[in-house]
This record gives sequence, structure tokens and C-alpha cells, in this order.
Amino acid sequence: MKRKKQPYSIMTLLTFAIAVVSISFTLLISAILYSQFSSRIKENATVSTREIVRQVNANLSYYTNDILTIATYARDLAKQTNILPREEIENRLRSIVDSRQDIVCLVLFDLGGETLLSTSDAPRRPTEEILGQTWFTRAIGGEGNFYFTGPHVQQLFTSSYPWVITYSQQISYTNKQGELSQGLLLIDMNSWAVSELCQSAKLGSSGYVYFIDNNGKIVYHPYQQLINSNLFNEDIESVQEHIFGTFTNTFEGRERLVIIDTVNNARWRIVGVAYMDELMAGLDQYTTVMLIILAFCIITTILIARTVSAYISRPIKELERLMNSVERGDFSSPPTVGGNQEVAALSQTFAAMVQRIRQLMDDIVKSQEMKRKFELDALQAKINPHFLYNTLDSVVWMAEQNDTSGVITMVTALARLFRISISKGRDIITLGEELEHVRNYLIIQQIRYRDKFQFSIDMEPGVENLPTIKLIVQPIVENAIYHGIKYLQEMGHLDIKVFKKKPGAVIIEIRDNGVGMDEQRLNTILTMSSPSQKNGEGIGVRNVHQRIQLYYGSDYGLEISSELDMGTLVRLVIPEQDPIQPIKVAH
Amino acid sequence: MKRTILLLLIPLLLLSGCSRNQQDTNTPYRIAVITMMQGGEFWGALKNGARSARLATGAVLEFFAPVNESDYSGQIAFVEEAIAQEFDAIILSPSHHTQLEHVVGKARSAGIKVVFADTGLLQEEPDFLITADYQMIGKHVAEHAFSHFSEDEPINALIIGSLPNTTSMTALIGSLETAFHQRENARINSVAYSFSSEVLAHDTAVRAIKADPSINLIFALEEYTAHGVAAALSPDPKIHFIAFGNTQHEIQLLEAEVIDALVVVNSFNLGYRSVLAAVELLEGKRPVQKLVDFALVTKESMFSEEHQHILFQTFQ
Repeated sequence: MKRKKQPYSIMTLLTFAIAVVSISFTLLISAILYSQFSSRIKENATVSTREIVRQVNANLSYYTNDILTIATYARDLAKQTNILPREEIENRLRSIVDSRQDIVCLVLFDLGGETLLSTSDAPRRPTEEILGQTWFTRAIGGEGNFYFTGPHVQQLFTSSYPWVITYSQQISYTNKQGELSQGLLLIDMNSWAVSELCQSAKLGSSGYVYFIDNNGKIVYHPYQQLINSNLFNEDIESVQEHIFGTFTNTFEGRERLVIIDTVNNARWRIVGVAYMDELMAGLDQYTTVMLIILAFCIITTILIARTVSAYISRPIKELERLMNSVERGDFSSPPTVGGNQEVAALSQTFAAMVQRIRQLMDDIVKSQEMKRKFELDALQAKINPHFLYNTLDSVVWMAEQNDTSGVITMVTALARLFRISISKGRDIITLGEELEHVRNYLIIQQIRYRDKFQFSIDMEPGVENLPTIKLIVQPIVENAIYHGIKYLQEMGHLDIKVFKKKPGAVIIEIRDNGVGMDEQRLNTILTMSSPSQKNGEGIGVRNVHQRIQLYYGSDYGLEISSELDMGTLVRLVIPEQDPIQPIKVAH
Repeated sequence: MKRTILLLLIPLLLLSGCSRNQQDTNTPYRIAVITMMQGGEFWGALKNGARSARLATGAVLEFFAPVNESDYSGQIAFVEEAIAQEFDAIILSPSHHTQLEHVVGKARSAGIKVVFADTGLLQEEPDFLITADYQMIGKHVAEHAFSHFSEDEPINALIIGSLPNTTSMTALIGSLETAFHQRENARINSVAYSFSSEVLAHDTAVRAIKADPSINLIFALEEYTAHGVAAALSPDPKIHFIAFGNTQHEIQLLEAEVIDALVVVNSFNLGYRSVLAAVELLEGKRPVQKLVDFALVTKESMFSEEHQHILFQTFQ
């Protein structure tokens, strides 16, 4: 069976609504910020990397320009061989070499490979070895043609193996005959000079700068030894495809930013390689911090949403609690709650409604009480006509018989009876007064029925001043006489006993030896509108029962047991209450 | 309220936790590099390679080596010191194939990763071994040596190694012996060891040549040994000489045709890959098994682009 879905509480709905809206905005703003920041970081990284590469290129250009300046100076000197002695020219060139640690040597060859000028005194290698070297062959081709080699082991002098980068240029020089001839100028630079220019460039923690020539051959690479040992690979192919500019690619599992620039004066290109993961390392930190802040914001948002919704729904819940309380019948607590304007107004309306209900209920209670009093008064009032009729009938009868003493006795008893009946308007009298009332009644009835019955009243000590509603015994006694003893041939007996019965009850027992009742009559005597009741039989008994129950509750009332031709026992059960003072009446 | 504060503190705790983790992961590995001796071009290139790998891995390296290559007790002391200093890994070129077994076992028991560079031990297995194929080198060198002789010309060879009790030297000499057994008229007259002493190598060569004038081929399997042998050979160009190493003196001897060929094992590669392997082992990875390259360089090929880089690598 499909269960009906429970509706969500206001607090849940409010929390959810506030949280969803706030978190959605937070996520949207975070995504925009992240996107902006990452693109800005990437842009900055690209710009700074390009700038570093450009700076290295500029430094290298300064350096090559410097070499070209020296070459120009050497070229000028070479044309002055007819003016200046060779030693003087060599000394001037040597002073340049000596002043610079980066230059290994400077040599001028003729095109046959013979040395014309040299800054080194070391023994030279054979001419055939010189002529075959790349720097020699590549520079030959026309005056002014120059060439930069990549790093290589110098092969000019025996027993010396420095790693150099060679600058070579075909130049004119003045030969011994004073004529201009073609020669080849060589300047060998220590390869570490170029290395230092590149090593100073930091592209992230492991990025680097390298050079390639116009054929895509590596001229200089900081990881040359690793490349030689096959421990490092370089992506020359991509660089050759792009020629110039900036691009990103993934090589051996790492995304790289590659920047290519052209080196002035040399047919080289400078290539800067930076690893994106290093360039974007700041983004990773930013991402981590942002995620934490985001988590913080989300948790805070949920908490705030929960607090706000609790603030809004708390008065409603309080109002609901008060309504439940009122529903259970508790009108005692004031049904007003604080909170926002709407709930406060609702609360005030509810409070007014509860107040009105309370007032109406009080009115109902009062009217009920009044009604009960009216009923009691009416029941009580029913006794008087019976009693008065019967008594006066007896007085008349005795007067007709000239029974003066009897009349006196009866009227005296009647007067006492009425005094107690009046009781200064009170409904509650003492048991002593009640039984005194009955005694006077029995005296009257005994006179009327001319000793047709005898009676006794036995009251347990200490019960005289206990309170009771008045005129509850007399109707029972009256009923016993009229419907029980009255029909007896022999002497009737009517015994009244009053005693306490635990817990908290007082029993007024009226026993007669009248004709009694059958079971059917006994069962219906206390019920209303019984069809078996005739001639007002049992009306007084029922009235007494109803009065006791109306006043003391359903736990009290009459208990009747009876047997035909044997008699009837009526027990009036009333609660034992604190004693009261009897009413002082004037005799 | 307390719960609210606690919930608000969670992200802050996460933040501090993250920063602490980051700091932990940045702690570099400490690696002890214990070579056979302090000097020598071979060991110098190995150390250069290790230093290059240091830049790539961020590991902290400390170099230890006895003065003499034959001082294995000195190496034992250095391994003990590395254990005491709780290095994360040790790169070791054991100068004795049995004497260091105990201390290497002790280091491994202490949780230190041990990588052997160039040579190993007979019994104790390392976590990783990086070496050249000395069997192949021996065969290749022998073939080159034979090329200096005609088919029917008898070859009487003298082999002078450095240390007798290293796995690499044993493999190399064994390979040469095998090659000689396979060629007619070729025999190894004598195998001696110089313990990397130039003087001892010289004296050994002089004595051997004097004792057996038929010797026409000498192998010097280590650079200091080559220097000593070269000094003994200078006046006699009839003897072919093949040496291991790439010192400037050896290169000059190669150019002077005293040495016919130089065998250069890429010890830069050895050092670089040893550190890389150690770091990979520490990171729980398995290093790739790959032999270290070598070159047989002659006077003709010494300036070729291929050989230039390996022959003159220590000049860079």
C-alpha cells in the first residue's frame, strides 16, 4: 500500500530554499571567478614566460653583437698588416682575449688554412684537419659571410679540448704584398658563456631555454648530456612545425608552453619551454583555497538558512503548540507568541479567539451551574406540596377529632420541620439537623397514622456536624411509610442509622419492614420515566438520588435492596466532609 | 551553538591539514652516494650525473668515497654511517663483491633502498642495479682489438684490471677470455690487477713485457691503470693498447696513437639513472631496467658528434 507522503515542514522548506538559492549563486560566482582567474594566470604565465625568453634573446643578441664588434675590430686590424707588425696586431687581439674569460682564442686563417694571426701560442693541428671543420667550410662563400656553430670540442690546437662555440667569418686582409686577400676569422667562445645566459632564465622550476639552428639541430640545450645519454628527449618536431610564436602541446605526458623567437645575428632560434603544471601551480593553490572557502560558505549558508528558517518557523511552531494545548482543553497559558509581524498578528487573533472561547465556556459553566441549582431547587420544591398536604390533612383530621394535644404536637413538629427546611436559605445543613428534620416528620406521620409504626433514629457519635444537602432522608422515609408500612396489618418499624464508612463516606440507612418491592420494581425505581411507576410512587426517592448525584457526583447516591413482604433497606451514600456548624434558629 | 562553531571550524581544520600535507610532501629524499674512490674521471662523471638528477628529482645527495678504490672497509664504514644517519636510499658501487654483503643486508633491513651503480654483489640482491653490459663491452673490445691483427698473426694479450673482486671487472675479463678462446692464435698471457694504482699498473706492465716479449696487445681496464701502462709503453709502438676511460691524458695518448682505442662507459648516465631509480623506489615505483651505454672511440672517431659528447663529457 502506497503511503501518503508526509508534507515537509516550513523550516525544512525555508532551509532548502535559502540554501539552494545561496549555494547556486555562490557556485556561479565561484565558477566565474575561477574561470577568470585561471585564464588570467595562464595569460600572465604566457606573458612572463615570453618576456623571459625575450630577455634571454636580448642578452644573447648583446653577446653576439659584442662578438661581432670584436670581429669588426679584428677585421680592421687585419687590413693593417702592412702598417702594423704582426706581433703588435696579435698583442692587441690578445689583450681583448685576456680581458674576457668567455673568449678562448681569436685566429685569422687564409683560405688555405694557414694561420695568419693567432692569440694562442699552442701547437696547432695540421692544416688538413682545419680545412675540413664545419666552421671553416660554412663561412666560406663571400666576404662578410659569418657563421655561429653549436657547442663542440675545439680542434685547433693539440692536447687541448675545450668546448667552444665558434664564430667564423670570411674577411679581407692585407697580405705581405700589401694587397687585399680573403681570409677567415675565427673567434672561439667558451660554450659555458652561452650556457650561463640561458641558465639564468627560470621558466618555472624545471622549464628551460635552448637553441636550435635553422636546420632544427640543437645548438645548445641545458640537458645536452641527458640528451646525449638518451635520458632526455626534446620535441624538435613541434618546434620545426611552428617556426615562430607561442603554442602549447603535450610532450611525454606533460603539457608545455613553448615560445619560439629568432636570435639576431645568428641563424638560431631560441626556444623557451615552460611546464603548464608549474606555471599554473598558483592556480592549484588558489583552487584549494577557493574550494575550502566554498565549502566554508556552503556550510555557513546552510547554517544561516537553518537559523533564519528556525527564527521564522519557531513562532509558528510555538503557535502550533499553543493550539494543541488549547485543543486539549488547556486555556491557562496565554496564547501569544513573538516573531515576525504576520505570525504575531495571527497569534494575537488566536489569543482573542481563545479568550472568547474561554469567556463562552465560563458562561456555559455558569449557566450549567445555575441550571443545576434551578433543578435542585425544583426537586426540593417538589417535596413541599406532598409534605404540606399530608401534614395539614392530618392536622385537619385531628382538629375534627378535637385532639388538641395532637394538633399541638403536630403543628409544633411541623413548625420545627419548616425551620430546618428553611435553614436560612442554605442548601447544606448538618446531619443532626437533617435527622431532626426527619424526626419531626416522623412524629407528624406517627400521629397521622395513629401508631401504625414505630421508628428509631440512631446516629453514630461524631457525625452530627457532618454536612449534607438538606431534605434527603425525609422523602425516603415518606416513601417507606406510604408504599411499605402503610399496607401492613401489623406494627410497622422504621429504623434510621447514620454511620461513617471508610473511605470517606457517610451512610444513612433507612430500614423498614413494609411490603417491600419485587425485583422489576426495584430495578426501575431509580430510573426516570419508568412505565411501572404510578401514583407518583418512587418520585421522591428518585429525586433524592438525582440531587445527591448532581451535587456530589455519580459515585454517590442511593442503594436500595428490598424483598417482598420483608421490607426495604435504603442506603444514602454521601461523602464525608469537614464538619460545619449547625444553623442557629430561634425556637 | 557549539555545534555551529564546530561546523564552521571544519573548513579551517581542512585548510590547516592541507597545508601540513603539502609541507610533508615537500620533504626531499636523502640519498647517500658511495663510490669506489674520491678522484677519477669515471667517478667524477658519475657524480655529475647524480647531481643533474638531483635537480630533476629534488633529492638531497651526499657523496661518500674512500681515497683508494680498493678500500672496501672504508665503503663499509660509509654504509654504516648512512644507516646511522637514516638516509632514505644508498647508491653504492661496491669495491668488493662479497665483503659488503652484510652491511648492505643491514641497510636494506633498516628500510633503506639500495641501488648498485656499475657493480654489484655476488649474493646480496640490491633493490635495483644499474650497470653497463660488460659482457657485451668485452666482446666488442676484443673484436676491435683483433681488427688490428691479420688472421694468422698470433695475439698475446696482457689484461690489467683495477680490482679483482668486482662483478663488473669479473664480467669484463670473463668476456675477453671467452672472445680470446674463440679466436685462433689468440691467447691471454696474463691477467693482473693494479688496484687503480698508476705505479702498480706501470710496474706490472713493464714486468710482463719484459717477461714475455711476445705480448702485442694490452688491455687496461681502468683509467689510472691506462696511465701506468701508457707510461710503460711509450717507447714501444708495436704493442696495441686498448684502454678504458676518458681522461685528458688518455685522449692525448689516443691522439698520439699510443692508445688505439678508448672504451668509455657513460658513467654520467650511470649516476643520473641511479638517483632516478632510488627516488622511484622510494616513491613505490619500479624503475625501468636499461643498460648504460658505452662507446669505443678511436682517433678517427673521437671528434665525431656521437663520440664527442661521451668522450669529452667531463670537459663540458
